[in-house]
Amino acid sequence: MHGLESTGKVIISVVDNLHDTLIFSGKVVRRLLHPAAYNRATRNVLVNQIYFTSVQILPVFLALSVVFASLLVGIVFQSLKTLGLAEYFGHVLMGLIVTELSPLLTVLLITLRSSSAINAEIAVMKSNRELTALEMFRIDLVDYLVVPRIINGMLSMVLLSSLFSIVLMASGLLLSALIFDMSVDVYTNILLNSTSFSAIFIALVKCAVYGFFVTLIPIRFGLRATRELTSIPITVSRGMVNVFAAILIIEVLSLLTRLF
Amino acid sequence: MTDAHPEQTAPVGADVPLISNQNVMMNISLIKEYHENWTKAQTQAFVSAGLERLGLSHIANRRNPALTAEERFCAMLLRAAMIRNALIVIDRPFQIFPHLQDATFLLGALDGISDLFMRCFILDYCWMKDKYGALCR
Repeated sequence: MHGLESTGKVIISVVDNLHDTLIFSGKVVRRLLHPAAYNRATRNVLVNQIYFTSVQILPVFLALSVVFASLLVGIVFQSLKTLGLAEYFGHVLMGLIVTELSPLLTVLLITLRSSSAINAEIAVMKSNRELTALEMFRIDLVDYLVVPRIINGMLSMVLLSSLFSIVLMASGLLLSALIFDMSVDVYTNILLNSTSFSAIFIALVKCAVYGFFVTLIPIRFGLRATRELTSIPITVSRGMVNVFAAILIIEVLSLLTRLF
Repeated sequence: MTDAHPEQTAPVGADVPLISNQNVMMNISLIKEYHENWTKAQTQAFVSAGLERLGLSHIANRRNPALTAEERFCAMLLRAAMIRNALIVIDRPFQIFPHLQDATFLLGALDGISDLFMRCFILDYCWMKDKYGALCR
């Protein structure tokens, strides 16, 4: 009986959490579509956020992309050659690596670098009563803090994931020449023939959805911090666990979209 | 008849801190950029002029933790004065600069930017009235 009660409590808590996240998402989406949200201050924050998330990270992101892409493409191409499935390499590269693994690896990198920072930043602001100060100056927290970060999250995810895919394809070009002794023309033709534009569209939408939630969830958990400084690590830890749960849910939903 | 631009409360106090991840310039500029859609160049020129009048041009790029109590108070005061038709309410100012013996510094700062706000109220405990001298008589 005790076990059943505990399970029920956990389920109620998960459902409540999901419900709260969806309600907050709805509120944010309404503000995203409202022209009044885009005042000069919000636009300045957006530019700063894009700089911090997409520009500052570029050297590290490019270096990691080259390493990951070369490893991934190298292993996959070598395995295909060993299994005698070399003719499928275009489908594997475009269908699996570019449209599935590229967004996933990008979202993991962005989560590790930016989501945790956003979560801590908002929690510290809440703890220091800085959010109350903004409200006392009649500054809407959703317009000023949430909207620019969400737009930045979506934009950065799409752009960085595209960059990762380009690096992947460039690595593919190099490794296909080394492993399969393939020319640039043949490689390009195989890639074009294997490209499904609906899959690329789904991948881009998935990136935008990833960007939305890996920014929204840390903000929502950051807003739960209290006046006590000890609440900051707790909210950051819970926020990050929820972000990883959201990434898994989005991945499963995108897989289901492909199946039906 | 109602005024087209009625007075708007602009708080100053230890409970209304500066945003810690922004420098003084950004903290003060935010009000004009958000409420009146001023450009960055417009706000920076306006805020720089305000800081200069208070003799604090050097703190424009500093963040909250790097400020002295007096500098912090002036930044908060200037931020409040950025509200259009500001009715500045200073809540227990000696919580911000507890080491000061009287309100001379406070009155000097208010005098320096007196054209930027409509009125100013100072709220404090009655047992602090000695610190305000002639203001309370």
